Amino acid sequence: MMTGRFLARVLEKAGCACRELETPSPGFACQLEAQADEVVGLVRIIAANGFFLESISAVDRLKEKKMDGLYLFNHYEESQRLMIRIEMDRSNPVLPTISKIFPGALWYERELGEMFGIRVAGCPDTRNLLLEEDAKFHPLRKDFRGRA
Amino acid sequence: MAEPAPNYTLDKAGEDKFTLNLGPQHPGTHGVLRVILQMDGEYIVRADPILGYGHRMQEKIAENMTYLQVMPYVCRMDYLGALSYNLAWCCAVEKLCGFEVPPRAEAVRVIATELNRISSHLLWWGAFLLDLGGFTPFLQAFADREMILDLLERITGSRLTYCYFRFGGLPSDVDEAWLAQVMEFIEGFRTRLPRYHDLVTTNVIYEHRVRNVGVILPFDAAGYGLSGPVLRGSGIGFDVRRHEPYSGYDRYDFTVPVDDMGDCMGRYNVRMEEIVQSLAIIEQAIGSIEEGPVRSKVPKILKPPEGEVAMAVETPRGQLVIHIVSDGTKKPYRVKFRVPSFANLSIFAKLARGQLLADALAVLGSMDLVIPEIDR
Repeated sequence: MMTGRFLARVLEKAGCACRELETPSPGFACQLEAQADEVVGLVRIIAANGFFLESISAVDRLKEKKMDGLYLFNHYEESQRLMIRIEMDRSNPVLPTISKIFPGALWYERELGEMFGIRVAGCPDTRNLLLEEDAKFHPLRKDFRGRA
Repeated sequence: MAEPAPNYTLDKAGEDKFTLNLGPQHPGTHGVLRVILQMDGEYIVRADPILGYGHRMQEKIAENMTYLQVMPYVCRMDYLGALSYNLAWCCAVEKLCGFEVPPRAEAVRVIATELNRISSHLLWWGAFLLDLGGFTPFLQAFADREMILDLLERITGSRLTYCYFRFGGLPSDVDEAWLAQVMEFIEGFRTRLPRYHDLVTTNVIYEHRVRNVGVILPFDAAGYGLSGPVLRGSGIGFDVRRHEPYSGYDRYDFTVPVDDMGDCMGRYNVRMEEIVQSLAIIEQAIGSIEEGPVRSKVPKILKPPEGEVAMAVETPRGQLVIHIVSDGTKKPYRVKFRVPSFANLSIFAKLARGQLLADALAVLGSMDLVIPEIDR
């Protein structure tokens, strides 16, 4: 396990609030699983330890009727990619906004809303980012059948 | 803290207050970016970038194609640094499947990618000065860029959207004559590089346009997830080639240029120094290149194991992360491209506030944005 000093501090502070995967996938230093209501607290700890936001994305698991929200963070001083996975119900996926902590998260959250239909609670701006402004479909959901 | 969506219909227009629409077809926005500006006279009160004019739904396309078929699409995201994207996709899939890459192929990959980085920085240099109103530098940069395009055309077969690397190595080897030509170019370019500084860097008018304009504080960098020269221009020396080495970058001796100013001049200095460093990397790679095969044995029909992988690469614009989720079939289950320009542009609204319109265009130019990369 490749735990750097910043990551160790985050995990220590976060305590048992989240579950850590034993063997992270290649490219990740650490993968956490958490509940949606723990995200803001976790991200606050991560931000306080100097991590930056790499991206927010999601994976639609149609067969299991679940949807995963994925937060990727990294550190400028030593590269240690940290992922938080939040499992949600596919019929009503909700994530809290972290744009008050990382202002750069706003665009990723707008993208989640239009691409996956994930409602980002408390997000100050919910307009479509890349799709046309009146688009009501969510192309990255697995049951979306486009022309492709 | 992020801002709520503006409501343009309710904004009270005062005597000097008005809404200005910049783009989507404007030379200063480098592609199809639209920015709605609320102006107070010559000053910007609020900037609201509108994205999506070049949106092609690349992530959905990737879900419907095999790993090999996705490759040329990836190279068309960042058309100026296509080889970095090509490299990132190959390395990500190789990491997922556990393929080895022969040392010679790794060295050629580094040489080609760094040449591509120089050509991208040269185009930025010319276009940035064009934004500021100087036409001659553009032609100067293109003369040198042309030589790199010729070199890359010889090995890749294309001049812009290169797709040269394959899973497990390269489709074809480079010959000694090509390596000699690259060395010849480096020598010639080194003698021409001081001219760039004589022409522009020390120019008084230029300095007045870029000094203390668009200052990014290191604190903001983490909040917006900046990377690349935009980040290093603010004094944080984060470079994926150094912090998470791939394709044998840890074997080469190079410095990560950093500038503490955080303004447009800082970002300019970082890119100019990066060109010098790239030349040094290419020289070392050619000096230490080994004879041998350029492609390891990989299955024709690729079925990576179930799982996920993240691969970070330093493109000319910053940190690209490709996150692949595989379900064990021929097609990726989900691909997420974390593109550098996306994060770098997100800070623009904050930087533009209170600036003159002409300065905001200088800031936009100094970011070195490629809009199709943001829109994906």
